[in-house]
Amino acid sequence: MSVLQMVLIALFIYLGAIGSIVGNTIGWYCLGRPLVASFVVGLIMGDVQTALLVGVPLQIAYLANVTPGGAVAWDLSYATYIGTATAIALKGTVASTPALIGLAFTGAGLGGVVGGTMWGIHYSLDVFLNRWAERLAEQGETRKMWMPNVLGGQAIGFLARFVPALAILAAINAAGSSSGLNIPGWFITGISTFGSMMAALGMGIILSFLVKKNIHWAIFLAGFVLVTYFGLNTMAVAIVGIIVAFIVYAAGNRQEAF
Amino acid sequence: MAKTVSAKTLRSSFNQWFFWNGCSQQAESMLGMAFGQSMSPVIEELYDSKEERAAGLKRHITLFNTESQVGSVCNGIAIGMEEQLANGVGAPESIQEAKVALIGPTSAIGDSLWVATIIPLLLTISLTLSQSLTNAPWVGPVLYMLVYPLGTYLLSWKIFRTGYKAGLEGVQQFMATGQLDKIMEAVTILGLIVVGGLTATFVNASLNLDIKTTTQVFDAATQTYTDGMISVFNLDNLLNNVFPKIVPLALTLLVYYLYAKKNWKPIAIMGLILVLAVIVTAIGFIPGIGAFS
Repeated sequence: MSVLQMVLIALFIYLGAIGSIVGNTIGWYCLGRPLVASFVVGLIMGDVQTALLVGVPLQIAYLANVTPGGAVAWDLSYATYIGTATAIALKGTVASTPALIGLAFTGAGLGGVVGGTMWGIHYSLDVFLNRWAERLAEQGETRKMWMPNVLGGQAIGFLARFVPALAILAAINAAGSSSGLNIPGWFITGISTFGSMMAALGMGIILSFLVKKNIHWAIFLAGFVLVTYFGLNTMAVAIVGIIVAFIVYAAGNRQEAF
Repeated sequence: MAKTVSAKTLRSSFNQWFFWNGCSQQAESMLGMAFGQSMSPVIEELYDSKEERAAGLKRHITLFNTESQVGSVCNGIAIGMEEQLANGVGAPESIQEAKVALIGPTSAIGDSLWVATIIPLLLTISLTLSQSLTNAPWVGPVLYMLVYPLGTYLLSWKIFRTGYKAGLEGVQQFMATGQLDKIMEAVTILGLIVVGGLTATFVNASLNLDIKTTTQVFDAATQTYTDGMISVFNLDNLLNNVFPKIVPLALTLLVYYLYAKKNWKPIAIMGLILVLAVIVTAIGFIPGIGAFS
């Protein structure tokens, strides 16, 4: 990675973090989602193919990463930008796709933990901005109310995201360019296994959002066997799902039947 | 002449909320400062004296929280009530009460319908496209980057306008019609079928138990018998014959159980998956009974 590439990735880590200057709709819920994040890293590092090879499994594993009540135990933006950058930077050291995905998950684990800590710092320091907002409100300064919120909040947010991200990226870059890096086979097997099991994290948690009554388990299993017994791909499953959802909606007046 | 909030001010207030609602989130007033900022152009337009403006701003920097995209309805309602107040209708306290009352329901609808259902669903469709179009995987993220922010902006603006026009009672009446529940149920069913398919396609887990024995194997090329290893008991093959991909399914259900029933944090579940991965990898390397041996 060149210095410019590292700066750009660190900048996007900040933009994709919760509460960045572009807003959560464009930031956290778009630039911060692994599918988009990996694509952006791919564009910056000039390898979109590899980026999305790891981006899709990352997205599935973290599909359920939402923030009810603002509790960010896991900083997704940090996790996936670092994870994808790790996979691309260390691509030369592994031979198989599962191993590459395993590398991405290892990098994402490291990035996510650092990111979670940074969120905690941001969240704590922002409390002091309340005093500034109260002073401005007291004086009826309608034209200055943006300052504590945007200026103050973002100065803290930017420093907490951009600077540590740059340091991690520099470390990954150093690991990738050191010629002596030789990852042992058992480790590759281990992280490949970990990477392929991680999809269960996203699926299991998203089920807890969706399942509200027992019949929902049967519907979930129907989707499952469409793949295992009928051999449909995920696009075909989605189309079957859309058809069934329309029927259910149309029968909405007799909803108790479902 | 009755005071009204101009169209330009409405748009400015909405934009300040939409883009900067999360800028200064913290434990004391949550989104309070951001709410105050979004109300500042409205307060400026409705009130002229410094005292009235100060009182108005102070009303809106207090504790407030919601799921901000769907929660723009709260801003709309608050603006409607401020407009009435400026014309001498209502009391400042009732604006505060309305805001507090809206925190719960708007957070619940926003988090369950939008954040936990629509976003994962749209991401699922996009990633499926990326996976299917092996020559152009960029289509998935590009689709999401266009559809999600644009669609949400338009929806959030419409909800904001609805809140302003219909007011607190109008919005409560709509929520009581049950129309939202019907949409929610249909979307949930689509989500469940797709998640079932994704689980079967993407979750992989093996127990790596493959007991082998040394035996005489006939080598067709040299027409001789040599020592070789054959599998006598492969646990994964056995289980897959009973129900294909039962181990990945069991792992997914374990995650569900730990998260939904035992209140484990996602990061703790990740730790458990890491431990399980280490264990099955270690089993795989045991001579004679491991799948990799």
